[in-house]
Amino acid sequence: MMDILLLPFMQRALIAGLLLGVLLALLGIFVVLRRMAFFSDGIAHASLSGVALGLLVNANPLLTALGVSALLAMLMAWLERRTKIASDAVVGLIFTAGMAAGVILISFKTGYQPDLMSFLFGNILAIRPDELWLMGVIALAVVFFLIHEYKRLALFVLNPEIALLAGIPVVAYQTLLYVIVAVAVVLGIKMLGIVLVSALLIVPVSTAKLFAKSFRSLMAWSVVISLISVLSGLVLSVYLNLPTGAVIVLCGFAIFCLTFAGKRLASTKKA
Amino acid sequence: MSAISVKNLSVDYGNQTVLNRLSFDVEKGKLTAIIGPNGSGKTTLFKAILGLIPHQGQVRIFQKPVREVLRRIGYVPQSFDFDRTLPITVREFLSFGALRHWHPSGELCKEVHVDVLMDRLIGELSGGQLQRVLIAQALLKKPDLLLLDEPSSGIDIEGAKAFYDLIKHVNHEHGLTVVLISHEINMVYSLADQIICLNRDLICNGPPRQALTKDVMEQLYGSEVSLRGHEHL
Repeated sequence: MMDILLLPFMQRALIAGLLLGVLLALLGIFVVLRRMAFFSDGIAHASLSGVALGLLVNANPLLTALGVSALLAMLMAWLERRTKIASDAVVGLIFTAGMAAGVILISFKTGYQPDLMSFLFGNILAIRPDELWLMGVIALAVVFFLIHEYKRLALFVLNPEIALLAGIPVVAYQTLLYVIVAVAVVLGIKMLGIVLVSALLIVPVSTAKLFAKSFRSLMAWSVVISLISVLSGLVLSVYLNLPTGAVIVLCGFAIFCLTFAGKRLASTKKA
Repeated sequence: MSAISVKNLSVDYGNQTVLNRLSFDVEKGKLTAIIGPNGSGKTTLFKAILGLIPHQGQVRIFQKPVREVLRRIGYVPQSFDFDRTLPITVREFLSFGALRHWHPSGELCKEVHVDVLMDRLIGELSGGQLQRVLIAQALLKKPDLLLLDEPSSGIDIEGAKAFYDLIKHVNHEHGLTVVLISHEINMVYSLADQIICLNRDLICNGPPRQALTKDVMEQLYGSEVSLRGHEHL
């Protein structure tokens, strides 16, 4: 076990996993609270256009994906505010258009694209030092923001009208929340891939909801469950030689099932 | 002095006029009730007053544009939909929008009877308890104006009576201007200083005994609805 940790790629994967585990778990609370699961899934798929753009112009695909996703998130926030299009339809529009643009851009690039495969299915073991630095700076900044602003964010998500009257700039908060989710999702894609990234936003908070007795404990337990999922998934995937992202997601799901079963058992005994 | 001054306020949704050139004033320190049938534009009026929807005409609150006085307004919305399985305690919910130095066992929380609910989850509260929490949330910022959108909907008769007693108390004891939307005409008849009747147009405006005539009631609700005299609560 300790030998593995001496390997630089494993150390980078571990640090990235811990950072993203905390980031996605905290952000997941607001995603669940605002019922934005489809948004996070949509932005993950739409980010393919950013990845493809990076590959096509020989730029870092992570950077281009971050930029494109942030722009798309701002566009979605604007469309939701300024038009009568339902929010799930807005996500559906951007989701499919972004994905389609990505497919077309990829078709201009010939040959095998290892970067593209790692974005589609995630490969935390392939994270480079420069990507880890970028990830670290963004993740720490967002986590700091979430911890500092969670009360105001929670009120905005619960009821924007009450939040406005409490002096919270709701338009700015809506755009900021969308951009933060988009950025976090793109960072998470490096670990879990476009297809699975939403899992770490949804599963830890859904598990913690089963037993948390307050919002603060929900935040704390979501982070703990997320970190256990990431660490156990990372170690298991290396030992079993299985895709890391998928194993992390299944570890999270197993914790959810165990917690759910435990709660049902406890309530049956009580009755 | 006017707490709210509305002049020629109109709201259109597409080709449909929802509010048509309303003009009225709400006096400071008074309790005003807005009544009208379903779809008469009551909630739309609140949203226009708060600047939450596009509108024509002029709205002044304490003689200033709404944006400048948002912090002086407490608001209890008509619906408060949220995922009831999310564990948020009353204490936490109140702290989300409160000023920095609020205290859960403070006088206000006792007055509104939410001090005993602090450790309960908001998703587990009854309709009446949740309304009290929402009122406390609105009052914690020490507003000068309180807007309540159908505050007693979903509460039983006893709960509604206790609720209106509470509203009366904050209006009298704290000198707070209160404007509430209500369907309970008999209740607001005995409670309000001023009644504004709405049905897209302004149908009546004034003290209850002068404003709520038989003709006005028929205009609002048809001939089958009547007032039960001056019955008090």
